[in-house]
Amino acid sequence: MPNKCINEDFRMVLEQLAGNLIQGLVLGAVYGMATMGLSLIFGVLKVVNVGHGAFIMVGAFITLWLFNALGINPILAIPVAFVIGMGLGFIFYYTTMQRLIKAPELATLLATFSIGILLEEFIKLIFGSEFRGYNWVVGKIDIGITVFPMTKLYACIGSALIAALLYMWFNKTRAGSAVRSVVEDSEGARVCGVNVGGAYALSFSLGIGLTVASGVLLTMFIPVGINPYMGGGYTLKAFVIAVLGGLSSPYGAFFGGLVFGLIENGSYTIFALLPGVEPFALTRFLSFVILLVILLIKPTGILSRK
Amino acid sequence: MKRNYFKTVIIFIAIVGLFISAHALAAPKKLVIGHPACLSGKYAKAGEQAMGGIKACTDWVNTVYGGVLLGGKRIPLEYKYYDCESKKEAVTSLIGRLVTVNKVNVIFSPYSSGLTLRGAPVTESHQMLYMDHGGANNKIFQQGFRYIVQTIGPGSSYHEGTLDMIHHIDPKAKKVALAYEDSEFAKSVMHGAEKHAKELGFNVVFARTYPKGVTDLTPLLSALKASNPDFILGGGHFEDGQLFNRQMADLDIDTNALSLIAAATLPAFYKALTSMAEGVMGPSHWEYGVKYSAQGAQKVGLPWIGPSQDEFVALFKKALGKEMIPDYHAAEAGAQVLAYVLAVEKANSFNSDKVRAALGDLTFMSFYGGWDVDETGLQVGHSMVNVQWQMGKRVIVWPEEAQTGDPCYPLPTFAEKAKGKVAVPR
Repeated sequence: MPNKCINEDFRMVLEQLAGNLIQGLVLGAVYGMATMGLSLIFGVLKVVNVGHGAFIMVGAFITLWLFNALGINPILAIPVAFVIGMGLGFIFYYTTMQRLIKAPELATLLATFSIGILLEEFIKLIFGSEFRGYNWVVGKIDIGITVFPMTKLYACIGSALIAALLYMWFNKTRAGSAVRSVVEDSEGARVCGVNVGGAYALSFSLGIGLTVASGVLLTMFIPVGINPYMGGGYTLKAFVIAVLGGLSSPYGAFFGGLVFGLIENGSYTIFALLPGVEPFALTRFLSFVILLVILLIKPTGILSRK
Repeated sequence: MKRNYFKTVIIFIAIVGLFISAHALAAPKKLVIGHPACLSGKYAKAGEQAMGGIKACTDWVNTVYGGVLLGGKRIPLEYKYYDCESKKEAVTSLIGRLVTVNKVNVIFSPYSSGLTLRGAPVTESHQMLYMDHGGANNKIFQQGFRYIVQTIGPGSSYHEGTLDMIHHIDPKAKKVALAYEDSEFAKSVMHGAEKHAKELGFNVVFARTYPKGVTDLTPLLSALKASNPDFILGGGHFEDGQLFNRQMADLDIDTNALSLIAAATLPAFYKALTSMAEGVMGPSHWEYGVKYSAQGAQKVGLPWIGPSQDEFVALFKKALGKEMIPDYHAAEAGAQVLAYVLAVEKANSFNSDKVRAALGDLTFMSFYGGWDVDETGLQVGHSMVNVQWQMGKRVIVWPEEAQTGDPCYPLPTFAEKAKGKVAVPR
């Protein structure tokens, strides 16, 4: 009888672990997508966008407004957010970033920080500071060990599709090749006739477009808690994921997101087995321990080629 | 010559001394409440409500009550506030500014236990009365602070009413799961709930916390689901309460009862979650519909002060310029204004030490209910109510003497709610 109880407990733990890992994988895809813009901008422009989370927040508010005010499906909000994000990217590039490309790193850090605050306060001015949410119910899938709302699966599939499209754009188009050549050697690219300034502008706006679109996908995963200051937590996670995947590689960031999601969700079940421990606090601790270890062992990130 | 100089200096010092002491002893022309208000940031919702409540009752004191009676004269009450952005560092600097620059007579705490606790050492250092309508954590009152007095009830009692209700209506319910935010306030609620649950014979099958600012509760809720509880108590603040309910719906965690502190009583909670919020309960210090009145106060032998409930609601709407019904954050902040006014009149002084002593002896009733504090300043005279969302409206379901409707128990499942089923009373 005691053996039967132990087996039953073990089965339950395994089920929870498997369920959490699958949930983590789905969430990780969205995290990865939410980090690709950060990595793209750093990879091409060598600019660390510390206002990253504010752009995610803009995407979340676009979804909220389209859904609540106009009844537009969040899936359709993805291209809208992407276009608005690219527009914002061009505006901020030509008004601010262009002048700071060759400036010391601190200048770009402060500039992106200021842009983030500007966006937060602007959104607060329009929507107020309360926490909002929307309720888009489109069914669920029960796989026995866990349950998935379709919205989460749409967010995961959307993230994977966007990552694949970005990969194709980089590798199969002339514009993508131009950007890659700028990443490799900007002077060489200029000599070969590549419009380096244009490539910078395109990369920055593409990065911002991806980040704003990821705000839509994140709200499909978690459609509550939408407020002007929601981006801070995501910025922190994005830095961990970006380092995990290789700071200058957007695809690395996507896979870094998957790894982060798995660590965040999977480790909970393991830590919960330890007596007298609050597992949630330890999952965060573990994430940052992993970040430190990677920085010490391979500062370019585990998935980077260099 | 020298002697004349000496005489002149002595006379000058005496005149200045007399002027200063006369100025210090004279009754002020007004009393000023200082408030580091949470008007933006994560507590903006509760902060706006508190500001509306304070403005409403200040308005009532000045226009209906005729001002504060001090030294035989009625003087007006003023309200000076700054936005602390729900940030601890802003609370400390703003309290300093309110005391030293604005020369306020009392400080009202910001919302939340964390922010209230952060402000307490600053008010203590200025020997300034600090009235707490936003920090429910019992620990605040175990630090030996001398100038703090609470209007909001202690955190340890938040879920006692919910447990009493379930014990009363469903003797078969035995297993309770507790999942609270890892904050001082929420943990004090959790410890109180755990203790009371055990006293009532419930079996606590799950008791865990989650960090502040969490964006995904899936791992915790999956473990909670596996513990198969009869009902669930939890929460912390508004944002995580929303997330808690939403992700319970995502994971199909159906239960007989769900009560979430702080979040579930706010209209924005239902607005964000719509049908998923049906049947969710929350403990509240006050709710529109409670029946506290001057007659009721007379029956229990307590003096009555302040506007009636409907007058308060009208003043609150006027203060904020919005068609908004006040919630308990507004009511407790408003009641605190009344407590301060009564204490100043009782002490016949605006000196913080004397007003603090008067508050210690004060008992009264207002639209908010009873008011009484123990020797540490902890609120012991106020009872909470339990509110449940039924058909998109908040209904007081417990205690029985305050009920505006019967509770919905057990709750409809999330699948039923998604199809439009609402919470219907038993």
